[in-house]
Amino acid sequence: MSGEGRMVVIGLFDSVEGAAAGARSLLALPLPADRVTTISSVALPDGAVVHDPRPIRFPWIVVLFWFVGAVFGAGLTLYSYLVYPMITAGKPIATVPPTIIVTYEMAMLGALLSTLVAAFVSIGLARIRRKKVYDPRIHDGRIAVCAAVEPGDQARRAADALMERGGTSIRTEEGEL
Amino acid sequence: MNERNHLARQGEGKLYEELSRSNLVTTKAWYRAAGILFAVTAGAAGVFFYMMATGIGVTGLSRPVMWGTMIILFVFWIGLSHSGTLISAILRITRAGWRAPVLRGAEAMTVFALMVGGLFPLMHLGRNWRFYYMIPYPNDRLLWPNFRSPLLWDMVAIGTYLTGSILFLYFGMIPDLAVARDFSTGWRKKLYTILAAGFRGTHSEWRRYHVASTLFAVLIIPVAVSVHSIVSWDFAMAMVPGWHSTIFAPYFVAGAIYSGIAGVITVMAFLRRVFRLENFLTERHFDNLGKLLLTMTLVWGYFYFAEFLTTWYSRLPEDWALISSYGGHFLPLFILMLTCNFLIPLPALCLSKVRRSVPAILAVSLVVNVGMLAERALIVVPSLARRNDPSIWLNYFPTWVEISFIVGSITLFSLLYVIFAKLFPVMAISDIKEHLFRTTDRAVGGAVVPSVAEEDEGEGK
Repeated sequence: MSGEGRMVVIGLFDSVEGAAAGARSLLALPLPADRVTTISSVALPDGAVVHDPRPIRFPWIVVLFWFVGAVFGAGLTLYSYLVYPMITAGKPIATVPPTIIVTYEMAMLGALLSTLVAAFVSIGLARIRRKKVYDPRIHDGRIAVCAAVEPGDQARRAADALMERGGTSIRTEEGEL
Repeated sequence: MNERNHLARQGEGKLYEELSRSNLVTTKAWYRAAGILFAVTAGAAGVFFYMMATGIGVTGLSRPVMWGTMIILFVFWIGLSHSGTLISAILRITRAGWRAPVLRGAEAMTVFALMVGGLFPLMHLGRNWRFYYMIPYPNDRLLWPNFRSPLLWDMVAIGTYLTGSILFLYFGMIPDLAVARDFSTGWRKKLYTILAAGFRGTHSEWRRYHVASTLFAVLIIPVAVSVHSIVSWDFAMAMVPGWHSTIFAPYFVAGAIYSGIAGVITVMAFLRRVFRLENFLTERHFDNLGKLLLTMTLVWGYFYFAEFLTTWYSRLPEDWALISSYGGHFLPLFILMLTCNFLIPLPALCLSKVRRSVPAILAVSLVVNVGMLAERALIVVPSLARRNDPSIWLNYFPTWVEISFIVGSITLFSLLYVIFAKLFPVMAISDIKEHLFRTTDRAVGGAVVPSVAEEDEGEGK
């Protein structure tokens, strides 16, 4: 989310209320909503501390790959009927019910695999080359409020805003949100 | 309340320690258990290689009983796998407040039961080294698998379900792996760092994680139902008395959920005892699982009665010969099945004292699993042993080779579970924390009750 040369300000809060106050003061600087977020060990309700303005669209990718899987499954069975035309019990070579079953299973497999890949891409997981800010103290129950800021004056004002609202261990470091 | 109050007293680091005791402390008892399970499993594997070298004649299989213990075990283990992911997915979607401690153990059970169950059709092949003939791959003899064969549907369905269940289990573990990454050192830290894939817990990550979790849950439910329907069609598509039944697919699914819930209770009871998780897996969880088991007892009983009544009333000669064998050669198996699946669980599970007592409900779940194994045997064997032509009727007994497969499958499943419990958190830590976070005590009149905060999470919100 942070652009070239941007820094991230991080402050730790002991409570959701404190973190919400910290986030509000960052937004009042003003900072856009997509540059302020939290890091927490539990999922906080949207709007409790920050609001995530970016829509979640990857389920549509899953729907698309459901159809890709279905086409693959149908294609595989039909192709195998044609290259190995085995007459079984006098039934037609290309029979519909088995094709439906394989098509269905392949469609579901396509959807399941694409859910993992699309979720990874959407969440931003497994991007090891990018340095992302983090604080393991969230596992002690603390909430990190972070903001992507320009180095210099904006970074200083953001750090001061977090400190005024009771943030601790405030630091500014290079990296991404 | 017990769970909540206990969690409320814990710091989060303490919580991790308590929930991950299985990962952090390796006792001598663990080595002993793993060693014994490995030895027995290796023995069963040795018997399998003996069968490969000698031929499938060392089993009790013979014409017309071509399917025996290996197919019984296949159906049993696939059935057992059914409820883990299914329960987890349903509880996730319905956001059942008590779900958190049950999820991980149930999901892992599905994966390992599928792994074990999936072995048996391959073992049953006879020429096991040619298992790859079942996979559609281009070859220079232009031989392609016959997709009209229900056994190939198994391959496709089980492959999809196993893949989906592993992904479901893994994806659900990512936040917990991130916790484990931050609390561990050495090779474990490296392992968890790779598997956590850089999950940090930003607001955006959590939102997308929840949407993806819900998607997995929604997708895995129809896959689970289809898998056991397809396993049932292995039988129902054959023109064999007793098998060629339209009710088989829902009957198999109901039976699978029934045995699966019993399996989840068994696994939960062992996890609770071995890893001292009494504060997390409370009597309330067993009570709720017991109610589910009671419901499935009635559903299974209804299906069995409906199928039995139709056959008994019509008295078609070929079907009647099969039903008559339940009162003859297969009477002990039939009594065992009926007693363990209905006569014991129904009255027992009606009693809240039984549902809330862990040893008692464990005993009931073990009884149900024995009953379901007997039921699978009753589906597979008598139909073949009493086929249309009485001149070829034959009885079937498993040999020592097949009995060793029964024992080996149980120890393999247990071994996989023991290793899993050593490496990964057996409790869904982040779900438990979230449950605690969203639950607050609220005074209602003279009582203090837990009040759950909910929010609408929707795609694109």
